[in-house]
Amino acid sequence: MIIPAKNPIIEIHDLTVAYQTKPVLWGIDFTLPKGGLIGIIGPNGAGKSTLLKTIMGLNPINSGYIKIFDTSIQKVRQRIGYVPQRESVDWDFPTTVFDVVMMGRYQYMSFFSNKTKDKAIAMHCLAKVGMDALAQRQIGQLSGGQQQRVFLARALAQEADLYFMDEPFAGVDAATEAIIFSLLQKMTKEAGKTIIVVHHDLQSVRHYFDWLVMLNMHLVAVGPTHKVFQPALLQKTYGGKLTLLHEVENLLQKKNINPREHC
Amino acid sequence: MLETFWILLTGILVSTNCCLIGVYLLLRRMAMMGDAISHAILPGIVIAFLITGSRDPITIILGAGVLGIVTPMIIHFFHRQIKLHLDASIGINFTWLFALGIVLISCFTKKIDLDQDCVLYGEIAYIPLDLWILGTINMGPKAIYVLLFTLLLNVFFVVRYYRTLYITSFDPSFGKAIGIHTTLWSNVLMCLLSLTTVTAFESVGAILVVALLVVPAATAYLLTNRLHCMMIIAIFFGIVSTFGGYYLAFYTNGSISGAMATVSGILFFGVFLTNVLKKKLFLRHKFLSKNIKKNL
Repeated sequence: MIIPAKNPIIEIHDLTVAYQTKPVLWGIDFTLPKGGLIGIIGPNGAGKSTLLKTIMGLNPINSGYIKIFDTSIQKVRQRIGYVPQRESVDWDFPTTVFDVVMMGRYQYMSFFSNKTKDKAIAMHCLAKVGMDALAQRQIGQLSGGQQQRVFLARALAQEADLYFMDEPFAGVDAATEAIIFSLLQKMTKEAGKTIIVVHHDLQSVRHYFDWLVMLNMHLVAVGPTHKVFQPALLQKTYGGKLTLLHEVENLLQKKNINPREHC
Repeated sequence: MLETFWILLTGILVSTNCCLIGVYLLLRRMAMMGDAISHAILPGIVIAFLITGSRDPITIILGAGVLGIVTPMIIHFFHRQIKLHLDASIGINFTWLFALGIVLISCFTKKIDLDQDCVLYGEIAYIPLDLWILGTINMGPKAIYVLLFTLLLNVFFVVRYYRTLYITSFDPSFGKAIGIHTTLWSNVLMCLLSLTTVTAFESVGAILVVALLVVPAATAYLLTNRLHCMMIIAIFFGIVSTFGGYYLAFYTNGSISGAMATVSGILFFGVFLTNVLKKKLFLRHKFLSKNIKKNL
């Protein structure tokens, strides 16, 4: 089921991506709407991160094209923010929380420019994620949830219109997840930003996302969450394993059956 | 006296160059790339020597520079195209290039005055002998000018493009996403590394330049968690090693470059042990104060 978006911010046409000779994404073709929280879900190795990186122009494309804001990515880099996977960097790097957030201001600063305003923005973004007290802390001393919030603050400092986030909820505790989610919601609802999130926890999908991309090397479904997040399509995305889980769940729902007896 | 001054100045310039680039190598987990380049330039030096027959620094730098830029390319080619691990790719490529250099030296060494020991270990003590004479004015050793030029270039890139190098070292995928050409910057760094290694090689030799690239940077890494502080501290340790090494060699009548590398190693272990002791004392202090509170 592929539902086209009315006011597309991203258009992907017939996209194929391969590492060496091994294809990772096949014939991907969809549009995504402007505004709102958009989730990309799928099993491990489905190419979720690859899709995200390819849209941002970090991976070479084998066929097809991608349009962002109706043009190529190179022309709109300044309007795009990025939160990479937390594990992708060395947290023992000799730098402070504040310096990492200042990276988000790179495109706004030149060697000779006055940096007072940029510093104020970086501090403000740290305050938004509740990390301003730890600004001068070395990044290696942070907990996983705090590291994720630093990355989020850096993305905020980019002052972009469109954000790409690679598993921002991975390995953070429930409290941090709630903080991050409410922040993302504020960004989409109040500031009208578009946020595309690679996600792996199916339980929270219905609650979090307005729009959903379901992926397993090829595109399974795209559309508003309430339309596409349903058992048949999930089965198609996740294959056999989920089918089994689904059946067990159904059995358990029939109250009179004791699962042990049934076996 | 003047000789001592030139030798120390050479040492300071070499170690400052090495430390500036070494910090980035360490943080990019490419410390062994310095090792690779410093060895792989050997055939370039010998070939440049065989063609021109001169031991002029410029000739040597050109010959070595070509290999210095080609070597990381070959290493990255094997790493990316054949999916060989970076360390394996480094290990394969620098050894065969270095071996080629050794073979060339041993084959042609009778015809030309190029000493194996000098290439491998360098001889900083001979620096004051190779003077640049402009007309009738003695301008000092040639090597100083070459090293000064390298230093200027290194300082220019490290200061002017501090943020760019910092971002591409810490989080290259983010750098790419905001439009920084990360491959280009990695190549710029490799070129600076080649130039640094090649110019340093004359004074400290192909092998010991690795010590100056890695050890002071690693010592500084133990002491700070800010990038620019790490560079300043690394340079400080580099200079201390230069002085320490010179006087150690003076009193033991040994190799100056060897003594420099030894001193930098001793400094590393000194700092490491101080860190361990500090931690132990800190923990004991914590433990004691807890116990005192309990007893109260």
